[in-house]
Amino acid sequence: MLRTIKPKNARSKRALKARESKEVEDPRTAIFVRGTNAGEKVQNVMQELMALKRPYAISFSKKNTVRPFEDPASLEFWAQKNDASLFVVGQSNKKRPDGMTFVRMFDNRVLDMLEVGVENFVSMREFKTPKATPGHKPLMHFASELFTTHPRLQQLKSLLLTFFNGEEIDGIHLAGLEHVISVTLGPTPPSLSSTGTATTTLGGPTGDLQPQGEALPKVHIRAYTIRLLASGTKVPRVELTPMGPSLDLTLRRHQDADAEVLKQALRRPKLKKQDVAKGLGKKRKNLEVDEMGDLRGRIHVEKQDLSKLQTRKMKGLKAVRGEAMDVDEESAGDEHTSSERKRRRTD
Amino acid sequence: MDVSEILAEHARKEQAVIVEKEVPLEVDAGFLTVTDPNPIDEESYKANLEEYLQSTARDGVQVLISALFSLPTTSSPDGPLAQLPPPTTQIPRAKPLPKPKPLTKWEQFANAKGISHSKKDKKVWDEEKQDWVNRWGWKGANKAAEEQWLSEVPMNADIDFDPAKKARDERKARVAKNEKQQEKNLLRAQGAGPSSAPPERKREIDRTLATTRVSTASMGRFDKKLEGEKKLKGVKRKFESTEVSSEKEKSQNLSILSKLDREPTTKKAKGGEAVLNVRKAVRAASKGKGSAALARDSNAKKGKKGKR
Repeated sequence: MLRTIKPKNARSKRALKARESKEVEDPRTAIFVRGTNAGEKVQNVMQELMALKRPYAISFSKKNTVRPFEDPASLEFWAQKNDASLFVVGQSNKKRPDGMTFVRMFDNRVLDMLEVGVENFVSMREFKTPKATPGHKPLMHFASELFTTHPRLQQLKSLLLTFFNGEEIDGIHLAGLEHVISVTLGPTPPSLSSTGTATTTLGGPTGDLQPQGEALPKVHIRAYTIRLLASGTKVPRVELTPMGPSLDLTLRRHQDADAEVLKQALRRPKLKKQDVAKGLGKKRKNLEVDEMGDLRGRIHVEKQDLSKLQTRKMKGLKAVRGEAMDVDEESAGDEHTSSERKRRRTD
Repeated sequence: MDVSEILAEHARKEQAVIVEKEVPLEVDAGFLTVTDPNPIDEESYKANLEEYLQSTARDGVQVLISALFSLPTTSSPDGPLAQLPPPTTQIPRAKPLPKPKPLTKWEQFANAKGISHSKKDKKVWDEEKQDWVNRWGWKGANKAAEEQWLSEVPMNADIDFDPAKKARDERKARVAKNEKQQEKNLLRAQGAGPSSAPPERKREIDRTLATTRVSTASMGRFDKKLEGEKKLKGVKRKFESTEVSSEKEKSQNLSILSKLDREPTTKKAKGGEAVLNVRKAVRAASKGKGSAALARDSNAKKGKKGKR
């Protein structure tokens, strides 16, 4: 455990304050850790993922003796030391060749982990196409019904979303959307499409689900650049160009989040009074908060019926009985009868 | 150009940006994410993987882009910004939510009384210098009284009265007081505040109260209740049974008699063997004024008699 530091000057005080927990969190930093035997392929994959994650990425490129599923102590140490909450650990051995472990931390403790094996890898360099600017936010695309039904793939989706896009922002410049990271699964095997979630929760914390891992479809991660073409309407037409890297992954070991810790991690800040008034919490119609912070309501009144308005009663204004009927008929009655009556009068 | 042609043209344009799928795609605009819950088409997946992946991705992105372009925008120096709604997907936080800062004693009081806080400016306007000066600190306005070249001395002041020193001492005392308050607030925030354990006096009072309640016949049942008084636990009236063996009854009565026969232990009761309680008698005769008043009265009466 690190010793608790008491700031001695204003600069270190500011630096410590920047690391404190905040209501709206900073973008997460990811550390790419090279294991004892990473292998060339995994190292390249990590390099390319880092290129996508920049500038919030740190590389630990020396060999590190780290086994996340056996002992997460060093991960926790690094997380605290570097103020990072994501890890990618590359490790390749005979039993699990070309493995990468995605680790997500909460409060400098391991929240959950997922190990994937890299099957095919095509580098960014092999696509001779324009690349996205580093630091731009990617769009994310997930395709398969398993992402909503299967807990392992839900975890994968949540992890990848946290990894590439897990930062809450309230506005974005649409011209700055340059690339998309697409995660597609292979065809759903029949065993999963029928039973769905029932078979999957048996794994336990560090379950080595080799037989079930076989059953899960492959994961294809692709990165494309976006071209927006004028379509004549307000919404442009989208065309994609492969940018790289492209990865085919298989799912291996995993560790689920502890329910209690996950509950803590999913806690949302209380909505601000102004936001609630604006109707973020629940829907409130015809109410708005102006710049001064005053709540303004809008009421809708039906159109007033002026024909029934009682004005001053005078003898001269009183309608003669026969005439009044005619006028009423012409204004309010239907066309047919009034025209008939006219004709009769002319006769 | 005919209207139908224009309409057809428009429909064709619309067609280019509309994606039709069996299950509608789920768009989470807050995280710029789209999820396609449609099952994977196995045939085209096997026929040409890359093409299939790209076409699925294109459809998804098209839906997402349409959603993003229909969001309300605000202008900024760099161009229009699309305002994103809060995300619908829940993602675990990296750090726990910050704990609310504990209120200081003044803040608690202000909250209770509904006093709103107004922040003081660091600078105040100095009429003499015609300039803004610091309220405190370097050349602070709070040091004006001790730095002025001429100061009033009260008429009855001591010979060594130093008005500058007095002002300075007062200022220092204010600072010291504030520091003490800060310290207390910190202590209170840590939970070891001065009022966390009941003070000695309070415990004493509680103990006395408990004894007095037990000493009435009804065990304090008909006593006047104090505000916030707790109910005593484990206190019960005990009644002797009406029928006891003659042996027991005898011994009980004898014990009462022996008590009566005993030498009194208290100092007050030791007053004498006389049946008359002198203290009580004096009190009654003097109407509660005491023996001295009684003596004075009797003397005065004597004097009057003599004159006559």
